[in-house]
Amino acid sequence: MTTYNKPIPVPSPSTEFFWTGVKEHQLLLQQCDKCSAYRFPPSPICPECLSSDYTVKPVSGKGTVFTFGVYHRLYSPAFEGDLPYTVGMIELEEGPRLVSNVVGIAPDDVYCGMPVEVTFDDITDDATLYKFKPAG
Amino acid sequence: MDRKLTGKYAIVGVGQSPLGKVPDMGPLDLLAVAAKNAIEDSGIDKNDIDGLITRGPDDINNHHQRIGQVLGLDVNFSTSTDNGGASQIINVAIACMAIEAGMCNTVLVGYARDSWSRSHRNRSANMMVQTTDPSLARREFGPEFGMFGAPVNYALSARLHMQQYGTTKEQLGSIALAFREHAQRNPLAFIRKPLTMEDYLDAKTIVDPLSFYDCSIFADAGGAVVVTTLERAEALAQSPVHILGFGFGNNLRGWHYGDHMVNTGAKRAGETAYSMAGVGPKDIDAAQLYDCFTQMVLLQLEDYGFCEKGEGGPFAASGALRLGGVLPTNTSGGQLSEAHAEGMLQVVEGVHQARRDYGPDRQVKDAELVFVSGHGGATTCQSALILGNHR
Repeated sequence: MTTYNKPIPVPSPSTEFFWTGVKEHQLLLQQCDKCSAYRFPPSPICPECLSSDYTVKPVSGKGTVFTFGVYHRLYSPAFEGDLPYTVGMIELEEGPRLVSNVVGIAPDDVYCGMPVEVTFDDITDDATLYKFKPAG
Repeated sequence: MDRKLTGKYAIVGVGQSPLGKVPDMGPLDLLAVAAKNAIEDSGIDKNDIDGLITRGPDDINNHHQRIGQVLGLDVNFSTSTDNGGASQIINVAIACMAIEAGMCNTVLVGYARDSWSRSHRNRSANMMVQTTDPSLARREFGPEFGMFGAPVNYALSARLHMQQYGTTKEQLGSIALAFREHAQRNPLAFIRKPLTMEDYLDAKTIVDPLSFYDCSIFADAGGAVVVTTLERAEALAQSPVHILGFGFGNNLRGWHYGDHMVNTGAKRAGETAYSMAGVGPKDIDAAQLYDCFTQMVLLQLEDYGFCEKGEGGPFAASGALRLGGVLPTNTSGGQLSEAHAEGMLQVVEGVHQARRDYGPDRQVKDAELVFVSGHGGATTCQSALILGNHR
């Protein structure tokens, strides 16, 4: 694998399971056992009802582009070859929103409300990112 | 809303540092100069200051202990808040509350940062537009996707607003142009070069739909104000500017949650401030709105009730924000043209307008009520302040 220069996510204690799932090409979210709400980012308590009881579940990976911006300005040399690239706020079917890239489509063709599905990008031997592509 | 504090406290002095490129001064130096100017403007004896509130938490952001040392102040009450650009108005409000509680009598509130010098130290700092300690940067759920810098969150908001209400790029541009026109009347503003709509539309894209002139100006800049009781104020040099109302709204579930990117905490902040002052948006003569980005001005025009939700674009494009318009806004040039000091200079300008300090080219005619806002803290915190020249 060629050298990967971009930032690699640094998990915190509460997000370790999430990144382990992504490494195995699964999007895992916590679902509250009491009120059934899914949540993101990961947390030991439910932000809706404060219950501490939850189950980690794989989710569909389907959702829509809630809104997005297209980077034309370079902030980090590692992204030079990617300009212009899309950073979107993806709203999953299960409710939570995640920041990610919208890939496999020209930035000009992305729109708010566009159906997308998750795709996994193995960036190094040890790290994987979740990204979203137009729903197929 | 309890109205017992309205008009009971006043801003009696304001000061600012040199603005723009000030390479020989760090943030504490800039604030020291602004504070000295505010103290001298008020005519108060330095030793009568028994309260100090800054926006913290670190030296880059003026920790109160460090600035107290620089100014030679031992005080009863001091602290630093951490609500980003909403902090400066919160600090004015905390000053009133601390005096009301009998903790102190006269409070210095200030903030400065060396954003131009800090972001021009080297190529990497310049590329990242680095204004704070890099060790505080997010390490997951952002940078791995190339999500850097402040503009992106306002680009996400602008995109939604454009889709929901048909807001246009030209309407955002009218905000940048109005404030630049005001900066040309302000000899101390950092950027005074004339700006046309053609310049605005041709400028390089930063994060689409936002481009260069949608973004505020990084500058070395600081400001400070002195807050005390109306009783003390009446014995001082300047005519007091009354603190008539303040309010706060913090959408802590985040910018990305629910409809927060389009309906901000400013609505709650404004309602509280208007209720405390006993006035409404139609009574306001001038506004100093937190303009980190044009999009944030647009949202606040709506959320503070100066126009209906969704009408911010047409309202701005009508010329309303210009001197002579229905709501002269950011009459110093604002953070988009004068200098970005996280809202501190907007408090300073609000006081100048309420005191009617300027000549006819810059003064909002017959100004009585000035609305000032703050915003920040990872986009979730909003603060509002209503100033007046009589009770």
